[in-house]
Amino acid sequence: MSEDLKNMKVSRRGVMGAAATGAVLAGTGVGSLVGGASPAAASGKASMAPGELDEYYGFWSSGQCGELRILGVPSMRELMRVPVFNRCSATGWGQTNESLKVLTEGLTDKTKEFLAANGKVTYDNGDLHHPHMSFTDGTYDGRYLFMNDKANTRVARVRCDVMKCDKIIEIPNAHDIHGLRPQKFPRTGYVFANGEHEAPLVNDGKILNEPDKYVNIFSAIDGDTMEVSWQVIVSGNLDNTDCDYQGKYAYSTSYNSEMGMTLAEMTESELDHVVVFNIAEIEKAIESGDYQELNGVKVVDGRKGSNKKYTRYIPIPNSPHGINTAPDGKHVCIAGKLSPTVSVMDVTKLDALFDEDADPRSAIVAEPQLGLGPLHTAYDGQGNCFTTLFLDSQVVKWNLEAAVKQYAGEDVDPILEKVDVHYQPGHNSTSMGETKEADGKWLISMNKFSKDRFLNTGPLKPENEQLIDITGNEMKVVHDGPTFAEPHDSIIVRRDIVNPKNAYDRNDPIWDDARKQAEADGVDLDDWQDSVIRDGNKVRVYMSSQAPNFSLEDFTVKEGDEVTVYVTNLDDIDDLTHGFCMANFGVAMEVGPQATASVTFVASRPGVHWFYCQWFCHALHMEMRGRMFVEPKGA
Amino acid sequence: MMKWSLSAVFALLASVVSAADWDVPLRAGAISEILAQAEDGDVLRLAAGTYNETVVLEKSVTLDGMGHATLDGQGNGSVITVTGSDVVVRGLTVVGSGDRHEDIDSGIQLKKTAKAPQILDNVLLGNLYGIDIHGAKDSLVAGNRIEGRQDRLMNRRGNGIYVWNAPGSIVENNDIQWGRDGIFVNSSKRNIFRNNQMRELRFAVHYMYVDRSEVVGNVSIDNDLGFAVMFSTHVKVKNNVSINDREHGVMLNYANRSEITGNYVKSAKEKCTFLYNSNKNDFSDNWFEGCGIGIHFTAGSADNRIVGNAFVGNRTQVKFVSSKWHEWSEDGRGNYWSDNAAFDVNGDGFADSPYRPNDSMDHVLWSQPAAKMLLGSPAVQMVRWSQSAFPALLPGGVVDSHPLMKPVRPAAADKVEHDG
Repeated sequence: MSEDLKNMKVSRRGVMGAAATGAVLAGTGVGSLVGGASPAAASGKASMAPGELDEYYGFWSSGQCGELRILGVPSMRELMRVPVFNRCSATGWGQTNESLKVLTEGLTDKTKEFLAANGKVTYDNGDLHHPHMSFTDGTYDGRYLFMNDKANTRVARVRCDVMKCDKIIEIPNAHDIHGLRPQKFPRTGYVFANGEHEAPLVNDGKILNEPDKYVNIFSAIDGDTMEVSWQVIVSGNLDNTDCDYQGKYAYSTSYNSEMGMTLAEMTESELDHVVVFNIAEIEKAIESGDYQELNGVKVVDGRKGSNKKYTRYIPIPNSPHGINTAPDGKHVCIAGKLSPTVSVMDVTKLDALFDEDADPRSAIVAEPQLGLGPLHTAYDGQGNCFTTLFLDSQVVKWNLEAAVKQYAGEDVDPILEKVDVHYQPGHNSTSMGETKEADGKWLISMNKFSKDRFLNTGPLKPENEQLIDITGNEMKVVHDGPTFAEPHDSIIVRRDIVNPKNAYDRNDPIWDDARKQAEADGVDLDDWQDSVIRDGNKVRVYMSSQAPNFSLEDFTVKEGDEVTVYVTNLDDIDDLTHGFCMANFGVAMEVGPQATASVTFVASRPGVHWFYCQWFCHALHMEMRGRMFVEPKGA
Repeated sequence: MMKWSLSAVFALLASVVSAADWDVPLRAGAISEILAQAEDGDVLRLAAGTYNETVVLEKSVTLDGMGHATLDGQGNGSVITVTGSDVVVRGLTVVGSGDRHEDIDSGIQLKKTAKAPQILDNVLLGNLYGIDIHGAKDSLVAGNRIEGRQDRLMNRRGNGIYVWNAPGSIVENNDIQWGRDGIFVNSSKRNIFRNNQMRELRFAVHYMYVDRSEVVGNVSIDNDLGFAVMFSTHVKVKNNVSINDREHGVMLNYANRSEITGNYVKSAKEKCTFLYNSNKNDFSDNWFEGCGIGIHFTAGSADNRIVGNAFVGNRTQVKFVSSKWHEWSEDGRGNYWSDNAAFDVNGDGFADSPYRPNDSMDHVLWSQPAAKMLLGSPAVQMVRWSQSAFPALLPGGVVDSHPLMKPVRPAAADKVEHDG
């Protein structure tokens, strides 16, 4: 019983006595009118029996945790965390040589200098908002997941065959990547990324508090090579982004068309805008040389008044936020945030904006008033939209065609239903909803606050992802799912599309550098290995692991040596991950089945030091250990 | 009273600067010509009839329509733009603004450089926006009648009075009909919105990021939503009336440390009032009648003082979504609940037993009015007794330990006659 309750000197009695009411009222003849005595059965099945597999993969961001998460949908069981921008104690991400290569090779020289001055080799935090899968022909293809880092202006790629991050690049010239979407058609292709915050184009300190000289940068990244293909300077800032199913246009919302620096300044205008990027015209600009090169990237000027066909600006009320292309390939819903409306853009009307300089608003074909604080829209593939209402704390289901008719003057109400969510939803996603294969089964409402929905965990509380069954006429909230800080966005992908391996391929490029070094050292990285190679004050220790043994039961180095330990896991059966943890050296890493991982440290502590396997592997897991002898200097 | 004091102030200013009065001939462009010659403190008196021009008031002048002049912008931007300080616009009919939302085309637009303008007793008809207080601090907008547009979809219309970043401004005694929102306020502070009347709009008052302000004595009839107060602290929402508004009468979303008292809400289709994540408010002595939901209370709203309110004949008196416990009485005084089947044996004005509005009984009474006849019957008494004797399944709820036996009608109830 809670303290609140005791203080109030009331008991639980009489609060929701549905059962008692029903029983007695049955005798009075009106018992059947008592509603809500038992929860109605959902048409979809949200709870999975032990051993039952989910129908969908859910890929979740984690916000300021900086990692990608994998959930099963509809069970909402969390299956995995994939470290990306964060430092992970379990896997050694951010410490192993393989992960440090990914984390550093895409940083600019200036950032490397900055990090060095702060005693770091890479960032150890990130703010991962938007995970999206690569597309082929308008639907997910299971190759990659792409994601942004708002905190340190990076874009990362995760390989879906092993569910590990293989590329991270810093985006030059831009500031604080927010919205991110892969090209849907013909394939990814480009990954579009918004720089959210305004800054001088050359941000070297010569311009400081002169906001009229700030710009924002839209970037197109080649999803295959993970290099920035081109950038566009825009007017106003950039929030969320999406693109069409024709491969012609990308578009981004701007909540600060004013380029204001205070809350009041940012809310000054009645209308902000969506900026539409004409991909073919921008590619032509790159070919014809209409760009400036800055920090190795070709930058095109697409600001208002530049009088080119690179961009168009469509006025939208009022601080628009989410932008989501419908599976019909035609409509795009732009959520008004401070306006209770969603503006619906018809992509087939965009050509005229560029070719005929048509009124930008002519591309808007509906603007239904849905409720307070609309933020994001998801789809069921049957012509219906699900928009989160942050302020009303609801999800509203509405019909797109009806909204278009209403805008054209017909007396129809596009709103079908509203359901309360708890509390204050941001992003939402439906099963396959951002592809042309949207299937209308599940909706996730990603709520920013859980407040009183779970046992109190102190001042810091989990977020609440609610699962909603959308197969019937009524939306049914069927599950509350607490999550730690702080998922923003998610995608729900049919499981047949995602087919990761159970063990690594020995030729995986992840450990290419280790392989080259092993070859130079005459070590066969693919077989039993127990070599210790001394190279001046550098020592390279090659060992293999097979439960329950490391191939080396001990090795010896000298105090002050720079030691690199390469561990290759020769086990190849399901779920036999080993680890390598050097106790009291702050060193630990994951070594997956058939993987090689390496870590480098300075042996500055003389003495006997135990290393052990820290990923449970075998009945004799505890025995899977060995000693490193560090001879003191001068011995 | 107000008129007297204003003219007194004006006379004082005039004597100091030895201002001139101008009688402006009735022809297009005449006002701008005189303005070019006028000096601070001058008064421009317009003739009866319609002037076809837009004007920019850069100097501290008075533009007086004398109750018989009309200014027609003929679709060009804002009809009157005020950029100078201490400008007065009064007694004028203003029509024919442009229709660009990008520029907030208005009947009268008060820019950031306009200090303390006074917009008094004008009539604004069919402009995209009526009066846009766009950063003009200490504005006084009073006694105007504003009729917005009806010829466009709601969101393509403009607001009657649009307030952005205008600390110290007062908006009172205006009558607003049609258009989008009656009064839309974004990112301001220390404003007073008093005794305005708003009908057939989207929101009567749509209000965010406006701390330390007052919304007092306003009347909202037949709007989508009455009073929406969001993301603001130290706001006084007092003595307002909402009748026949569609969604909510008084809606608070992250409105904190505020006073919501003496409001009278009747016949809102959805909710009389909605407290969403709103905390530490004095929420007392309001009247909520005949709505789909009397009060919707959720999202961890906490530490509110909820006493003296009357919940009268709402389909669901309380929609409560929380797993916490809340006591809605203070010092032995709670609220009035029209569905409370309680006794007051000692006649002290308070029911003898606590009232729990989460009670499933409400639903029965509403959907089966005949059940009311059973209210005092042994069967229903037994239901209530059994509810108080057995534990419920879910935690959390509202308890009013000292429900009032009689409602207290706020004075605001008399603001509108024949409210049905």
